[in-house]
Amino acid sequence: MKILLMGHPNVGKSVFFNRLTGANVTESNYPGTTVDYTKGWMKIEGEDVELIDVPGTFSLDPKDRAEEVAVAMLHESKDVRVISVIDASKIERGLYLAMEILEEGYPLVIALNMRDVAEDKNIVIDAGKLEWILGVPVVSTVAIAGEGIKELVSRIREAKPVDVADITANTASTADAAAGTAGGEV
Amino acid sequence: MEKELAMMDYDEQGTITEIEKDLRTRVAGMGIRVGKKLRMVTKQPIKGPVDVIVDGAETSLGLDMAEKITVDVV
Repeated sequence: MKILLMGHPNVGKSVFFNRLTGANVTESNYPGTTVDYTKGWMKIEGEDVELIDVPGTFSLDPKDRAEEVAVAMLHESKDVRVISVIDASKIERGLYLAMEILEEGYPLVIALNMRDVAEDKNIVIDAGKLEWILGVPVVSTVAIAGEGIKELVSRIREAKPVDVADITANTASTADAAAGTAGGEV
Repeated sequence: MEKELAMMDYDEQGTITEIEKDLRTRVAGMGIRVGKKLRMVTKQPIKGPVDVIVDGAETSLGLDMAEKITVDVV
């Protein structure tokens, strides 16, 4: 099993990487490019798994070399699970990428990182509800402080591919339920 | 009043009404889509990029992209 850390640039992927892996980290160029990435090993329930810190990308529709590499790494890997790292204060665009990955059928866990920064901006996200809507594990984290990392690791096994139609249905029913309440909630 | 994003003045706010088709998916990943509210913060001189705030996040768009986005300015 391989685990890919994917997300926009500057959302904390490398902080997760450094927290999750120990020594024995390799930094190399993706063959034929000057785009480099880091890979290392981590343990999940005693099993060694490879963790790759993928270059940041905004979407799976690449606009530059680094994004091409990110997308190629996702498509070439077999038996892969994705940790989608999202900046909780910019959740909408983060979810855009997460949805693209889900649409392609990859098993996913979402790390809503920088929860503290989001709270400073008065953004509070109901991770449980988001998890219910998306059908994949959603964990709130503050990676630089180490908060939520353990929970994230313990839930990687629960990552599974979901049917986008289910998400659409869940979103619709949530929207109906929330119709009377104030908007702005995700 | 509708105008090109590239033509917006500093600190002007508006709602995106149209994005040229070929650009739509390219900017969607940055949180820019029809119906979004944005505020223009900086425009770099000599055909430089335009900076906007969408959802509290600053995003910079090339001038050629900004010319293909129509905004209803308030």
